[in-house]
Amino acid sequence: MRASGTRFPPWLKKRLPQGGRVQAVRDLIADLGVHTVCQSAHCPNLCECFDRGTATFMILGSVCSRHCRFCAVAKGRPQPLEPDEPERVAEATRRMGLKYVVITSVTRDDLPDGGSAHFADTIRAVRAATAARVEVLTPDFQGDAAAIDRVLAARPTVYNHNVETIPRLYARVRPEADYRRSLALLKRVAAAGVTVAKSGLMVGLGERDDEVCSVLDDLATAGCQMLTIGQYLRPSSAHLAVERFVEPAVFERYREEGLRRGLRWVASGPFVRSSYRAESAFESASSGALSQGDPDDNEGDQSTRPV
Amino acid sequence: MQQNVTMPPLGEDAGNECTVSYWQVEVGDTVAADDPLVEMATDKATFDVPSPLSGKLVKTLVEEDDVVKVGDTIAVIDTEE
Repeated sequence: MRASGTRFPPWLKKRLPQGGRVQAVRDLIADLGVHTVCQSAHCPNLCECFDRGTATFMILGSVCSRHCRFCAVAKGRPQPLEPDEPERVAEATRRMGLKYVVITSVTRDDLPDGGSAHFADTIRAVRAATAARVEVLTPDFQGDAAAIDRVLAARPTVYNHNVETIPRLYARVRPEADYRRSLALLKRVAAAGVTVAKSGLMVGLGERDDEVCSVLDDLATAGCQMLTIGQYLRPSSAHLAVERFVEPAVFERYREEGLRRGLRWVASGPFVRSSYRAESAFESASSGALSQGDPDDNEGDQSTRPV
Repeated sequence: MQQNVTMPPLGEDAGNECTVSYWQVEVGDTVAADDPLVEMATDKATFDVPSPLSGKLVKTLVEEDDVVKVGDTIAVIDTEE
């Protein structure tokens, strides 16, 4: 039931784009039978991103083998892998004319390799069909180093893995995950030296500021270079409640704290999501104008800098 | 000419419903195309829904706290053409 009567603070307001490319992107996605996390996770940025002609593809099917309590993606018994999914994602990338594509997935603890070969195949298929840079956002592969290395071998431009929340809240928020395991993954990615390590954190789940700063310490130590911090928003009344709506000034403070610890690029704001405007994020991070997005990109509905 | 305004998709693909927060234009007032017409709330955010047309807001068919489905007629605008 959507009519929860939730009242949001003024900074959690978006402007709906009028017409534009939203339906064309929806049609293309449906036509090719690819999944997007934008749709599966009920992302509030969906219309904005689709209108810009971008989307974040979700591979390894549409059903997740884990039961994270913040996430709207369908949970249960995953479907068999579709061998042509990498080609379809590549075709979607080509048809959309994307120069930068973000590929994420459901978690597949049921697969011996966690879906890592499929990830690598998808990166290679996109590269074969287009000139797009590829950012991946992977599950933790249960800490399997060979799986992580398999993805790294396909040389993604950016390798993202979200820690999602502070360690104290893992049992409640993502019970089948492990904070130290996620950090170890990021450390391995950073140490490989072939890509950029990126992570993401939600706030509003009951964490304290000092706990957020502790995570920033850990990420910097692990060699993570890029970070997104955004407001947790409950997808439905069946999911974890929002404990607080973090004010824009606090998001700004988190960003400064991250940069102070040596992270090269931090986006922190209410509607920031891990792949939101990922292309301009990567360009900022690699151009030396590291700490923030391009202010010209701000469409006025973001109280902090867009990614 | 009087034209119906229908609820556009808000994009979250989460059931195609939202709740009316408030009308940003009063009945009888004029609105320009693309200016905010009504604020709607989903489970994740509030949205300014822009007017698809320029003209006079003749009638609103939904009120504050009503649940609206994508495609429902929510207002009538006289485009004065």
